[in-house]
Amino acid sequence: MGAPLRDAAAVAGVGYTPFGKDSGVSTTTLACEAILAALDDAGLGPEDVDGIATHRVGDSSPPWVVAPALGIEDQGWYLDQFGGGSVSHAVLGQAAMAIAAGVAETVVCYRAINARSEFRMGGQGRPPAGAFDLQYQAPYGLLAPAQHYALLARAHMLAYGTAHEHLGAVAVGQREKAAGNPRALKRAPITMEDYLASRWIAEPFRLLDCCLETDGACALVLTSAERARDLRRPPVNITAAAWGGGHSSYSGAGAGGIGADTTTSAAARLAPRLYAMAGLGPADVDVAELYDCFTWTVLVQLEDYGFCAKGEGGPYAASGALRIGGELPVNTHGGFLSEGYVHGINHAAEAVQQLRGDAGPRQVPGAEVALSTAQPGYVLAGTSALLLTAAR
Amino acid sequence: MPGAPPAAEPRRPRPAPRTPPVPQAGGADLRQKGEETMTEPERPRPGADRDSAAWWELVRGHRLAVQRCTGCALLRFPAREYCPACRSRSWEWQDSAGTGRVASWTVTHQPFHPAFAAEVPYTVLRVALDDGPGLHCWGRLAGAGPEVLAAGLPVEAVFTDAGPGLTLVDWRPAAPRR
Ligand SMILES: [Zn+2]
Repeated sequence: MGAPLRDAAAVAGVGYTPFGKDSGVSTTTLACEAILAALDDAGLGPEDVDGIATHRVGDSSPPWVVAPALGIEDQGWYLDQFGGGSVSHAVLGQAAMAIAAGVAETVVCYRAINARSEFRMGGQGRPPAGAFDLQYQAPYGLLAPAQHYALLARAHMLAYGTAHEHLGAVAVGQREKAAGNPRALKRAPITMEDYLASRWIAEPFRLLDCCLETDGACALVLTSAERARDLRRPPVNITAAAWGGGHSSYSGAGAGGIGADTTTSAAARLAPRLYAMAGLGPADVDVAELYDCFTWTVLVQLEDYGFCAKGEGGPYAASGALRIGGELPVNTHGGFLSEGYVHGINHAAEAVQQLRGDAGPRQVPGAEVALSTAQPGYVLAGTSALLLTAAR
Repeated sequence: MPGAPPAAEPRRPRPAPRTPPVPQAGGADLRQKGEETMTEPERPRPGADRDSAAWWELVRGHRLAVQRCTGCALLRFPAREYCPACRSRSWEWQDSAGTGRVASWTVTHQPFHPAFAAEVPYTVLRVALDDGPGLHCWGRLAGAGPEVLAAGLPVEAVFTDAGPGLTLVDWRPAAPRR
C-alpha cells in the first residue's frame, strides 16, 4: 500500500572522515575514505556497489572519478547532482528511488568537501556556482550565504518578534549536545553571554550563528530494505522522501509574488507530502536533524515542519524542547554549528545512528522515527527531506 | 527633495570598471572575480542575462521599471519573458514609482569580497516596491545609518553611477509626504 518508495530502501552503513580545517588531501581521497568506512560499517565492500551518487557545486570530486579510484569498474546507476545543501537529501531520496525501481541494489552516497581549505562558501567573495539571480544583489556587496540568510532572519524577527537570544538558544543548545559527539569540531560549552559577545558577521548574525567551514566527507550506504536485514548493522528504513520548492530568495519574489514572504520556507510545502508518504506526523518524530547553515534555519524549520506554530520557532527553541530528553531533540550531533558542515549528509548519518541506538552519550532513548532535512529552500530554489524509521 | 539626510553612511566611491559592460550569462562573470590578479579588486558587476539586460539598460538611463503583462496586467520583477499568471509573452515596461518599504536589511561586517573590504560595515536593504505586491529590489542604504531602519520604513530609489556603463539602484529614507 502507499507509495512504492515507502520503506523500500534502507541505510545499511554510515562512514566519515575526520572533520577539520585543513584535510591536506583531495576531495577524491576524502570521498574514498568515507565510502570505505560506510561500506565497512555495513559489512560490504566496493565489489558490492552498483550505484554511486553525490552533489556538488563545482567544488568536489564526481562519481566518475571516485568510483574508478575505488576500483569500481562499472559504477552502475549514478547521480552527479548539481547543488548545495538544498539537494543533500534529494540525493539520498533519489538513491532510494533507484533501489525501489530495481535499477540498483547497493548505492553509496557521499559528499566530500574541503570547505575551509579549498572552496569557502562566500568566504572569498565567491558566490555559489549557479546562483543565477545574484545579479540583483552582488553589485551591492551581497554575495555570501550569511548575508542572504541574515536578510531572511531579520524579516522573521520583524514579523514575529524573534529575538537575538532565540538565535543564541540554538547555538548554545547545539554546542551542549556536541559535547557528546567525539567527531564534533567544537565541543567546549558556550553560554548565552559568549554568544552575544561574538563578533558580527552580517547582522543579525554573529560568528556563533554561522556553521563551521569544514574539510571532510561523509557517506551512506543504501540498499534494499530486504537485503539490509541480513547485513551487519540494524537497518534504518527510508520511510519517506520528498522534494519541494521552486523559488530562490536570490531572485526576490518569483514573478507574481511567489516566495515574496521569506519568513516561510519551502519546507512548508514539502512537509505535508513527506508526512503523508510515511503515514506519520510531526508528533511521531522522536528526533530531528534540521539543516543549520545558520541558527535561524532551525527556527523556521521547527515551524514549517509543524513542530510549533508559525512564528513560535524562537520561543520553542529557547524553551529547552530541543535538548536530548526534551520534547523534540534537534541536531543531536551538534549540527553544522558544532559538529561540522558536510552540507547535509552528516545530518542523515546522525539520524541513522540515533535510530540504530548507537549514538552514545547523545542517544535519544528509544528513538524510532527521525526527520532529517536539507537546506530549507532559499538558495537554488529547492529543499528535500527524509523520514527515517528504525526497522526492528 | 529632502534636506541633507543625517548621519551619512560611510561610502567609498565605486572604482571604475576596467572593461566596458558586457552582459554575460547569469552569474558566470561573478565566479571569476576571485581569480583576478590585478592590484585593485574589481566590484562584481551585474551578470545580466537575456531577460534582464534591457532592465539594466533602463537603470543606466536612471529609470527603474517593472514589467507589466499586457494580457492580465500583472506586474513582475525580476524580468522574465513569460507571465506566470496567464503565460502571455506580451508585456511592456512600466515605470516604477521609485518608492518602497523596507522589508529587511543586513549590516555586513565581514569583508566577504575584497572589493567591499574597505566599505564594511555597510547596509543592504531588501525593499518591497510600492508599485504592487511581490515586487522586491535590493540596494545599499543611502543617506542614513542603519539606526533609522524599521520594518516598513518608506524609502525612495536613488541612482548611483558606479563607473562607465554601470548604474546601481540604492535607497534612502523617503522625504516626508506633504
Ligand atoms: Zn499575465
